[in-house]
Amino acid sequence: MKVGVTISTTAHIAVLVLATVTLTSAPPKITAPPPMSVALTTTSDESKLAAGVQNAPQSENPRPFVERVGENRPVEDPNAKVVENAKEVPAATDAAAPPPPPLPQPKQLPKKAEPKRDVIAEAIRKDNAKKSEQTKVAASPPLPPRRPLNAEPKFDRRKIEALLDKRTPQRREATGDAINNALALGAPAATAAQLTQNELDALRARLAQLWNPPAGAQNPQELVVAIRMRLKPDGTLAAPPMVMTSGQSPMFMAARDSAIRAVFRGQPFDMLRPETYEQWKDIEITFDPREMIRG
Amino acid sequence: MSKANPSMPPTVSRRRLIALGAGAAAGTLAGLAPRPAAAVLKLDVTQGNIQPMPIALPDFLVEPGVPDPGMGRSITQIITSNLRRSGLFAPIDQAAYLERITNINTQPRFADWRQINAQALVTGRLERQANGNVAAQFRLWDVFAAGHVHAQQTSTSPDNFRRIAHIISDQIYQRLTGEMGYFDTRIVFIDESGPRDRRMKRLAIMDQDGANVRYLTRGDDLVLTPRFSPSTQEITYMSYGQGQPRVYLLNIETGQREVVGNFPGMTFAPRFSHDGYRVIMSLQQGGNANIFVMDLRSRSTMKLTDTAAIDTAPSYSPDGSRICFESDRGGRQQIYVMGGNGGPASRISFGEGSYSTPVWSPRGDYIAFTKQAQGRFSIGIMRPDGSGERILTEGFHNEGPTWAPNGRVLMFFRDTGGNSGPHLYTVDVTGRNEQRIPTPAFGSDPAWSPLLR
Repeated sequence: MKVGVTISTTAHIAVLVLATVTLTSAPPKITAPPPMSVALTTTSDESKLAAGVQNAPQSENPRPFVERVGENRPVEDPNAKVVENAKEVPAATDAAAPPPPPLPQPKQLPKKAEPKRDVIAEAIRKDNAKKSEQTKVAASPPLPPRRPLNAEPKFDRRKIEALLDKRTPQRREATGDAINNALALGAPAATAAQLTQNELDALRARLAQLWNPPAGAQNPQELVVAIRMRLKPDGTLAAPPMVMTSGQSPMFMAARDSAIRAVFRGQPFDMLRPETYEQWKDIEITFDPREMIRG
Repeated sequence: MSKANPSMPPTVSRRRLIALGAGAAAGTLAGLAPRPAAAVLKLDVTQGNIQPMPIALPDFLVEPGVPDPGMGRSITQIITSNLRRSGLFAPIDQAAYLERITNINTQPRFADWRQINAQALVTGRLERQANGNVAAQFRLWDVFAAGHVHAQQTSTSPDNFRRIAHIISDQIYQRLTGEMGYFDTRIVFIDESGPRDRRMKRLAIMDQDGANVRYLTRGDDLVLTPRFSPSTQEITYMSYGQGQPRVYLLNIETGQREVVGNFPGMTFAPRFSHDGYRVIMSLQQGGNANIFVMDLRSRSTMKLTDTAAIDTAPSYSPDGSRICFESDRGGRQQIYVMGGNGGPASRISFGEGSYSTPVWSPRGDYIAFTKQAQGRFSIGIMRPDGSGERILTEGFHNEGPTWAPNGRVLMFFRDTGGNSGPHLYTVDVTGRNEQRIPTPAFGSDPAWSPLLR
């Protein structure tokens, strides 16, 4: 307790001193707050959005839910595996209590919680003890106890461990650049690391830069080639690119080879972040030069 | 000349086949497997970057017994220059090569070629055959896909090695661009020498790269507008011969010459039909000219237009179903299109100025023309319905477009005025890559041959 008070006092003093220094040395700057743009949506839109209607209007500038300012991190990692962290503790039984095992400490619980929990447990135990006394009294006249008293489930605080969820919590504090208490319903970046439009644009730009399509064909349809590429997390090809369209003409063969060449030459696709690997490990690219030839 | 692939060991291509088969099997399996939770990300790329493809062409290897050990280098140089001139390839300087090719039947070290940014690699070998001919084998490799793309063997007599180089160039061009090649072709043109007022005009023929020039006439008579037969070694042209200008046929190989048809007046602007069986031309009758066609087998003639105007420069569409020509029936020279047997014609050119010398592309998709507007002559193309007009080159005097057999490149002649004379140029249908074709003296009225066979 004393330590806390000391720390608190020191911190307060420090803040006061700092405030005094900075406020006196720097001339007070009054800047107008930046204009806030407010998007008006109708209630029906809101309810559609909430109901997950597919063609619901997109919210103007969807921002992810952020509880604390920090490095960008969403609430949940959807790809995290459920990990059993601690050994299973047997629940309380009627059998004689085994020697108390060393209390397994869930990693994520701070140490301070230990005494607190003790206090509560004590209280509960007392309470429970009272209650069981009362139930015993109340229940005894109509229904004589068939079991011996000592068979009654006895509260054992050490056995509480068995009831605790010992998996690593998947819910984390959502952090981001700015606190945003609004739940980002329908915001594309609301959960998990999301492949951004920037990454996609950079990928598209690199392929466009390297793709040297055949210049002309009487039937431009045969120049359209779809290539499926499977990537490794480092952005290199995990397997030779697969051609998803087919054709026999020399023009198609030239178009196909030009697309494959662009994919090979584009390695490694380092504009794609490893965090979003799950979303880009398998890409189908349609190379369609018709638009550029038409001009 | 034979094109065959008998002695090339098929190991590499077989391996590739197996790889392809495995790939296809993997594809099928992937298709059957339940779709994974993460869907395939789809992406459209609609813009590319059209630029010359870097290609590496090390000298062809020469086996002992080949009469001229320098032939390997010569063939490589001809191919290199063909590809560079096409504007679609950027041959890489041999000094940059990291790997020295010693055997064309083993896989090259692709990493070495990737290092110098080559996208394609051509390796080849010359060897002497029992009959004294030279056989050329070549392989085309895709450097980034690390694979073998094409192989062929061609053989010919040693003094005909330039044709081998052109044939190989065509194969590379076709495999990598998807278009038919045009290197194994010839150009017939009017060679002009002497001062401007006493210019001697001779009919001449050369390879498309300007090599092997040969004169077909001595220069006694004025010759104009030579045109190649699409199927035989014949050309048709107009000559002033004995007084009256007439359309002639000339066999290039035998030198035999004959007058086409027995017309009372001057005949001019001849051109073969695409099957080579007919010659279409203009006949002057009084103050106007009409279009006639003569069947070369039956020698029968047919009148296709009958107007009081000058109808000339006819050109068949590739399927022979239509004819484009120029006419001043509407006042100025414009381009008209009518059926293959004559009949009503519809005007397709509507731009400013006058249009002349329409030529239907061998692919059928465009009509090339000479346009005169504001004192300048330009070469352009438009679709057969008159839409999509595009000027490819413009200047003091550009005239007489002729199509390469693949319909992607045009040749024409340009006179810059002054005391000089005309020269031959090529430009591709996008208007890019203008190149001058070397001729011994001045040159005009070029006509591109079909691919040699």
